[in-house]
Amino acid sequence: MLVVATITIAVLAAVVAALTVGIVAVRLVRTMQRRRRAALAEGPRRALLAFVADNGEEGADELVAIDNDAWRAAEPAATALLGKVRGEARSALADVFQRRGAALRARRALRDRSPVRRARAAELLGDLKLTEAVPELCDLLEDRQPDVRIVAVRALGRIGDPAAAWRLLASLDRPDPTPSLLVTDAMVQLGTEVEVTLSAALDHPQARVRAVCLDALGLLGATGTVSRVARVLDADPSLDVRVAAALTLGKFGARSGVPPLTDALEDGRPVPLRATAARALGELGAASAVPRLEALLDDGAYRVAHAAAHALRRLGPVGHEALRRAATTGGPAAAHASEALALIAIGAGPADADEQTMAVA
Amino acid sequence: MTEEWIREILRVTDIGIFVYFLVLNTSYLVLIVLASQEFVKHLRRAPFAGADDMFRSPLTLPVSVIVPAYNEGTGIIAAVQAITALRYPRFEVVVVDDGSSDDTFELLRDHFDLVAVPRVVPHDVPTRTAILAVYVARGNAENLVVVRKENGGKADALNVGINVARHPLICMVDADSVLDPDALLSVAKPFGDDPLRVAACGGVIRIANGCTVVGGRVVDVRMPRPWLLRIQVVEYLRAFLMGRTGWSRLGGLVVISGAFGIFRRDLVVRIGGLDHDTIGEDAELVVRLHHDLRERGEDYRVVFVAEPVSWSEAPSSLRVLGRQRRRWHRGIAEILSKHRRMIFNPRYGRIGLLALPYYVLFELLAPFVELGALVLLPLGLWIDAIDVDFAWRFALVAYGYGLLVSLTALLIEEVSFHRYPRFSDLCRGVLAAVAENFGYRQILAVFQVSGAWSAWRGRQAVWGTMQRQGFDTADEGETITPGMASAAATGDVAVDALVDPQPAGSQPASSPVASPPVAPPPVAPPSVASQPSADRS
Repeated sequence: MLVVATITIAVLAAVVAALTVGIVAVRLVRTMQRRRRAALAEGPRRALLAFVADNGEEGADELVAIDNDAWRAAEPAATALLGKVRGEARSALADVFQRRGAALRARRALRDRSPVRRARAAELLGDLKLTEAVPELCDLLEDRQPDVRIVAVRALGRIGDPAAAWRLLASLDRPDPTPSLLVTDAMVQLGTEVEVTLSAALDHPQARVRAVCLDALGLLGATGTVSRVARVLDADPSLDVRVAAALTLGKFGARSGVPPLTDALEDGRPVPLRATAARALGELGAASAVPRLEALLDDGAYRVAHAAAHALRRLGPVGHEALRRAATTGGPAAAHASEALALIAIGAGPADADEQTMAVA
Repeated sequence: MTEEWIREILRVTDIGIFVYFLVLNTSYLVLIVLASQEFVKHLRRAPFAGADDMFRSPLTLPVSVIVPAYNEGTGIIAAVQAITALRYPRFEVVVVDDGSSDDTFELLRDHFDLVAVPRVVPHDVPTRTAILAVYVARGNAENLVVVRKENGGKADALNVGINVARHPLICMVDADSVLDPDALLSVAKPFGDDPLRVAACGGVIRIANGCTVVGGRVVDVRMPRPWLLRIQVVEYLRAFLMGRTGWSRLGGLVVISGAFGIFRRDLVVRIGGLDHDTIGEDAELVVRLHHDLRERGEDYRVVFVAEPVSWSEAPSSLRVLGRQRRRWHRGIAEILSKHRRMIFNPRYGRIGLLALPYYVLFELLAPFVELGALVLLPLGLWIDAIDVDFAWRFALVAYGYGLLVSLTALLIEEVSFHRYPRFSDLCRGVLAAVAENFGYRQILAVFQVSGAWSAWRGRQAVWGTMQRQGFDTADEGETITPGMASAAATGDVAVDALVDPQPAGSQPASSPVASPPVAPPPVAPPSVASQPSADRS
């Protein structure tokens, strides 16, 4: 027993000493590496900044000629610039990356065994907005690693090729789906050309897909789909989808959205739907909905009454007048109306009334 | 014959204690190794984590940041300014003034031009005290809300904040915390990346004492001067950073500090908000969340992000430290007692079979074993149950292993985040890892045992107030080093954790690590050194 303890003490002492030396060594090595990298990157970084400041008109050849060690040291800065600059400077910088073979290497790396390399490659291809890489990035939407799929979604959004629309939507319909908000964001970046796809996908059997399509249509302002969205609001079997449809109609701001939203306020409909419909009517600017919203101020469901009050707040003088009337009645309606009137009095901006209606998932 | 029996029992007990500490330190080491794997993963993915995309996206989930405040006049303005300046696309700040007796509210009102609004607040989660008034900033009505309420304690203040919160994610932040600019983006990101499963996310707490804070931002990270604080820096690294990251990787995270944690509001509302009667209300919330989600059979995750961080003041006097640790350990005892049916219950998966039993064995009981060893080892020597050669080897192995665990944590910190840029601070960290074995752990064990004992005796516990100087009371541009000047350092602190019947409802001092439980440190029996718990809140 004593011998074992003695040996253990000796081992522990050796490991403790090694760890202490290791801590110091890590610090020294990192300091040296950082200095070396900083020295190597100094020239290229200056050249990069001058190149971008010049809108990429001069200096491309010099950047392409930088030796590999120095470019590697400056690459994080160059990649960051790629994500920050716009217009000609961005295109010129992307061209430099391509001439250095970065795009080719990245496309090859999409099939690398390491998920980190695959994701890094997808990120770079997105930054380069390389349309040719869209099919490979679409394949990456089925990668076994969620992290890689997420990067692929974002990259496809940045590239903005509508050809990726169906594949992006399909990535939502799997046991381990890509995150809805990221896909919505990407779909919006694909532009108005995907409206037809989004509208068609409103018949998709997966509720998550339908909800994403509605959100994207709303952000794209696809007012041509009002009647289609109204049908979803009325008849979709999923409450989340109907709530998304109500929000979308509010974002459209089209008068034809008022009747379906007003219908959605009816008693007996689910509270989240009624609250969202009230909020959407305010966002839409539907003065004709004032009487209905005014009646809702007395609703038993807090969220509905609250949303109605803030919708009236957004509806300008007609809505404000309704609030003033309600404020004199007493009871819950007066309380909600008083809150909204107080905000009007201080000139508060349009409220995102009760955003708890937004589903996290 | 009886003497022989006693000798034999003592000998076996001492060996048992020795084995206990070997297992305990090994468990810490395992958590640290798991944490290091997570750090590697995190750092390799940082370049394509998409923080900028998240910041630019109109779809990023909005967050309500709830800041409970009780007598925080010294630092409240800087704190709220710093929080409102966080890099996040859409969020509101809800400050809940829990009946402060100082000028906390007046300062807020004057600085942010607050105006009263007759807000109708829903009763989504229960509260025990009345809201006196709700105010909004005249120029920023949608993004800054201040609630004045009667004093009711931290849990009550947070519950009021939850009711007032408008957004689907709620982030609880202590009024004395200093957040890194991207902190909110980082803790909210898991909800965007894995929205179907992530239920809560905790952020890491580091010690701000010694650091330079300007405009509500830590701009220069340094080791504090007092050794008591330096030891806590090492302890936080090991327990908060490594321990919780390790548990997160194991899928068994049961503690998210109230100083910096983010939750899905709908889930918190569903389980009734924070428990008014538990002193470790933030950890209890997480355990209850696990309980509810497991009972419902939902697929979910409670995760932890190691970077960026929230910086908090740590106690710089032994008296305050004692109160804090008593409170924390009391919290552990209360939570484990309240949720005892989950322990070793396969229905609760890794939480019931791994995490909670671990907390019982290696967090709750560790200080008892340590103190037991402090008594039994000398006793064993005295009655010849063990010999001197065994005793000193026993002590060296136990302390040496503890030191090894701490140094491993320091090495991993140095390899991964290396937040202390000065070489001298690095050396001080190593020395602090050695120093904590001599007195610090043993004293903590006494505090912890006292805390657990109070819980079991059912004594009423109340958070106290902790008067602070604040991080940035100086003029703009001037810097101060927080901990050094804090009232806590001078002992002018009124935290009162466990003194019998307390004045009702005092607030959690937003203590340096205003959160709770779990984890006690170390244990270092006289002959058996151990490591500070790998996890605590």
